[in-house]
Amino acid sequence: MTQEINQDQFETEVLAADLPVVLDFFSTECPPCEALAPKFSSLEEAFTGRVKFLKVFRQGNRALAEKLNVTGSPTLLFFRQGVEIGGRLSGEIKKSEIKAALEALLN
Amino acid sequence: METKSYDLIVIGAGPAGLTAALYAGRARLKAAIVDENLPGGWMKTTHLVANYPGVFPEIHGRDLAKRMEDQARHFGADFYTAAEISALELQGAVKRVVLDDEVGLEAKVVILAMGQEPRKLGIPGETKFKGRGLSYCATCDGDFYQDKDVVVIGGGNSAVEESVFLTQFAKSVTLIHQFDKFQCSAIAEEHARGHAKIRMYLCHEPREYIGQDRLEGVAVQDLNTGEKKIIAADGVFVYIGFTPRTEFLKGQVGLDARGYIQADDLMHTNLSGVLAAGDARVKVYRQISTAVSDGTIAALEAEKILREVK
Ligand SMILES: Cc1cc2nc3c(=O)[nH]c(=O)nc-3n(C[C@H](O)[C@H](O)[C@H](O)COP(=O)(O)OP(=O)(O)OC[C@H]3O[C@@H](n4cnc5c(N)ncnc54)[C@H](O)[C@@H]3O)c2cc1C
Repeated sequence: MTQEINQDQFETEVLAADLPVVLDFFSTECPPCEALAPKFSSLEEAFTGRVKFLKVFRQGNRALAEKLNVTGSPTLLFFRQGVEIGGRLSGEIKKSEIKAALEALLN
Repeated sequence: METKSYDLIVIGAGPAGLTAALYAGRARLKAAIVDENLPGGWMKTTHLVANYPGVFPEIHGRDLAKRMEDQARHFGADFYTAAEISALELQGAVKRVVLDDEVGLEAKVVILAMGQEPRKLGIPGETKFKGRGLSYCATCDGDFYQDKDVVVIGGGNSAVEESVFLTQFAKSVTLIHQFDKFQCSAIAEEHARGHAKIRMYLCHEPREYIGQDRLEGVAVQDLNTGEKKIIAADGVFVYIGFTPRTEFLKGQVGLDARGYIQADDLMHTNLSGVLAAGDARVKVYRQISTAVSDGTIAALEAEKILREVK
């Protein structure tokens, strides 16, 4: 199960994390979010100890979504040492796209 | 790499694929069914299904999807979900499918049932603004646009119905359509036309998505006068029809000019042992009932092929 955070934990769990982080903004009534969940979990297992996987419920954390300019669900953001890295992934996301982004995050 | 042998591999677990897997299971064939998402296809995301015979009163699409999935599992199909095809060989007598570069599947028969996906416009800015103002799903993203201005592109049922849906959040909804008439039901059009928040630009075509860090508007062209203007928008929702998910078959399986799989009445494609079913085929009516029908025929034909090669 991917750990869920709220916007008050963004600083400590994401920006101050030791490991690189991938953060999933998800919504309810969102078919592509449901489709992402099993891919996300299987990659979380594959990247254990190397990348930290987190999710945040977008409707409940609007301020954070607005601050980060996230306007679609699901959206994946990648962070390393407190800085957002690389492109975002949004909408219907392929497992291979996430895998490539995670590998880029580690290099 | 681990390789597993089956009689039949079904690609796509929408109503067509699930039905094929069900019939294969009941015929005691060893069937694998593969989906890059969760099972159910479009059925799963349709709010209410009111026209599937025998299921009355109307049913939530996700419940109908779950029933079809349970039925296929009950009769023994192996499911591989959230798995992506990384290699595919359909030409030889033994067909091979590789999933996520990790698992190999092989079988003498493959049924292609990948359905369709929303079509993209293919104008500048599409990749840049995806998830930064550009959306294909009003129920997912509509509430981002509370008191904001949004544009909807398209003129069929989805475009017109979703425009009305978006008025519960947005300050204004501008509907842009390339023709002078909508291709939607009379009821949908009536709802949209009567709505104070909805503006319409008929005979206009989008040319480019505009913005710095995030989407700020769409450049459109009036097809009658040639005049170009920019419509300011915080969000754009695109509903311009569908395209088959067959890109990865190019060069292997016979497709028509729009990419739909060419198969005969018994679902056979140009390749022996390769059948097609559902929305991904060249056909006129794309419904759950017709997908289920295709899936049935494809599985029965698969059984026949396997009996002959044994
Ligand atoms: C908004 C909407 C509402 C609808 N409402 C109704 C209705 O009320 N009644 C009705 O009868 N019909 C309705 N339809 C039509 C109906 O949903 C489709 O005709 C039907 O789902 C087609 O079934 P299918 O199995 O061919 O394809 P799909 O349902 O599209 O399923 C295809 C499956 O294949 C998977 N897939 C695709 N490519 C790959 C790949 N490369 N590898 C692995 N898996 C893949 C997909 O993830 C998907 O799960 C509606 C359609 C839409 C879009």
